[in-house]
Amino acid sequence: MLAIWVGKLVAWLLRLRGHDATSFPGKIALRLSPNLLRRFGRQLRRAIIVTGTNGKTTTTSLLAAMVSQQEPIITNHKGANLIQGIVSALIRESSWTGRLHAKTAVLEVDEATFPLIADSLPVVVIVVTNVFRDQLDRYGELDTTVEKLFSAIRKTEACLVLNGDDPLCRHLGLRASRKTFYYGMDRTTAKTSARKQMRDGQFCLQCGQELSYEGFWYGQLGLYKCPACDFVRPHPEFLGTYRGRTLTFAEDQVPELELTLPVQGLYNAYNVLAAASAARVLGLWADPIHAGLAAYLPPAGRMQSFAVGVPVTLNLIKNPTGCDSVLETVTSDPRRKWVVIGINDLAADGRDVSWLWDADFEQLAEDEYLERIITSGLRAHDMALRLKYAGIQPHQIGVIEEMDDAMDKAIAEATAAQANVYVLSTYTLLHPAVQTLSEKVRSDESQGLAYRTSVS
Amino acid sequence: MSHRALRIGHLFPDLLNLYADRGNILTLTQRLRWRGRDVIVDEITHADTPRFGAYDLVLLGGGSDREQMLVAGYLANHRTELRHAIEDGLPLLAICGGYQLLGAYYQVPGGEKIPGLELIDMVTNYSAGQPRLIGNVAILTEEAGVVIGFENHGGRTIHQGAPLGKVIHGHGNDGVTGLEGIRYRNVWGTYIHGPLLPKNPRLADAILKTMLQYAGVDDALDPLDDSMEEEARRSFVKLRMPEVEAALA
Repeated sequence: MLAIWVGKLVAWLLRLRGHDATSFPGKIALRLSPNLLRRFGRQLRRAIIVTGTNGKTTTTSLLAAMVSQQEPIITNHKGANLIQGIVSALIRESSWTGRLHAKTAVLEVDEATFPLIADSLPVVVIVVTNVFRDQLDRYGELDTTVEKLFSAIRKTEACLVLNGDDPLCRHLGLRASRKTFYYGMDRTTAKTSARKQMRDGQFCLQCGQELSYEGFWYGQLGLYKCPACDFVRPHPEFLGTYRGRTLTFAEDQVPELELTLPVQGLYNAYNVLAAASAARVLGLWADPIHAGLAAYLPPAGRMQSFAVGVPVTLNLIKNPTGCDSVLETVTSDPRRKWVVIGINDLAADGRDVSWLWDADFEQLAEDEYLERIITSGLRAHDMALRLKYAGIQPHQIGVIEEMDDAMDKAIAEATAAQANVYVLSTYTLLHPAVQTLSEKVRSDESQGLAYRTSVS
Repeated sequence: MSHRALRIGHLFPDLLNLYADRGNILTLTQRLRWRGRDVIVDEITHADTPRFGAYDLVLLGGGSDREQMLVAGYLANHRTELRHAIEDGLPLLAICGGYQLLGAYYQVPGGEKIPGLELIDMVTNYSAGQPRLIGNVAILTEEAGVVIGFENHGGRTIHQGAPLGKVIHGHGNDGVTGLEGIRYRNVWGTYIHGPLLPKNPRLADAILKTMLQYAGVDDALDPLDDSMEEEARRSFVKLRMPEVEAALA
């Protein structure tokens, strides 16, 4: 009880001082009461866990929005997905006597944290979005991530909702021997990729043979099968057809749903597909799914647009596969552009920046509409070097370590040229960038208003 | 100057690609192309038969334990050929898992031994309970001054040969001896990735020079504008390993 009071007090103090209270209250409370999560867990009727490398935050928010159409839920927003973040969310949703306000939790859980908490919660559904290479310095290696997920799954009796287009997810499903639902994209939408990109799970985890692919969506997501054994992409129970702004969601015996995508990009279509599939497994019908999508507010920095005189689009980059799909979106925009790339190497970003060399920045070198790139952040010079070796002309590359200054410079140059700006950044630079850009939008609006008044 | 294109053999890029080895290939090939040389990279996948006589340099990267075991199996049939090529002076750059493969074995925490290629008298052990050796690293080498990067390995590598360098910051081969990597004939073995070569242009050029000599072509390397490389070195060391700054100058 004391732990909950202290946790609530810490959260209140942090918010009072304008700080984020998504992790620290839980950390303090856990120190006082290491069993706190288990005690909260006993009060829950069910927990739905979303994990995987990319798309956790978006999928969790989407699913939480859908489920909360029917009943009150507890969720950890803002990607606070380590144990302290989860406990902070539970403290926030509890009374002073430690009673939870809701019986259902929809939680985003970090892959490495999941095995530590899996048996503390009544987990009924586990969604695994994909397994890509991310923050190797924390997880050791990709195979370790798969093992961690597997050991977590084994500690529960939950059924699984897995991305059937990802061979690593499929491997989890085969090994877990329990009720498993797969979602996947319609096979006619796969492309035969010419680009040489990082593919993480290209070898059969059952027999070691190289998987053969009939087509790809992105990364190792595609129509795979093993030429040597019986390992093959499953026929998905939930089938998505991505059409730009909408996703057609189909399953046997039920009318198709036409879902409106709240955020652009193929990887976000996957997130919507994952959330809708999990919602169906939980027994939700069309109305809460549509209403959840409509109620969803994209989290900061996921292809977020700012009108700062010129259009500025901000997006998080954190690993090769995610970065490649962001670069594809940037380079497929047929307008002249300035690009700012901010790279930090703090714990939340990953201290090892070698992944920059696995990402396909060569795409930028081939983009004829690219005017200039400014690199920024603690590892701005590493990023600049990466671009040089990608074949971008040194005179097109600038380094400004302060992110705000880098964005100012890019916006000023792009404004003069009537071009647009893309800002890509790692995690710890993202929220400051959101703030800076939001302030610019506000000051632009007030100036715009003054201008109109003086004219009229 | 010879008109023959140089040939780099990249061993198992499909299996050993954990630590951005693409960056090492890119550094070697770009630094040749910027000097007007032709270079071809042969990607030797597990389905191909490596022809060690045909390459002027071979790169063996790092992978997970599982992938490393697959590679050990594929290469077992070509061990004799590779050993002769190395004794003959074939330049070989081996990183992380590839470095461990050069020795007799790599023993993983379960007690299982992944057999190595036995090219060098060297063993690697990883006992249960030992922490992984992770973090930024700087070493002092004879041929290329301070070499910097990132290391992330569980295995502790022991050999009696010459190291690539002495640790100034970080762990190195085993976290104890203060030695990092191995230098044997024209072999460079190291745990340093990040990737290794982009921020260590002197080492990249030392490897290229050896490669040109082995290839029997003009080995003159025109100077390149390395100001971005130097700036990346300086700012990284200043930020993450300030005690190395003096050695860098």
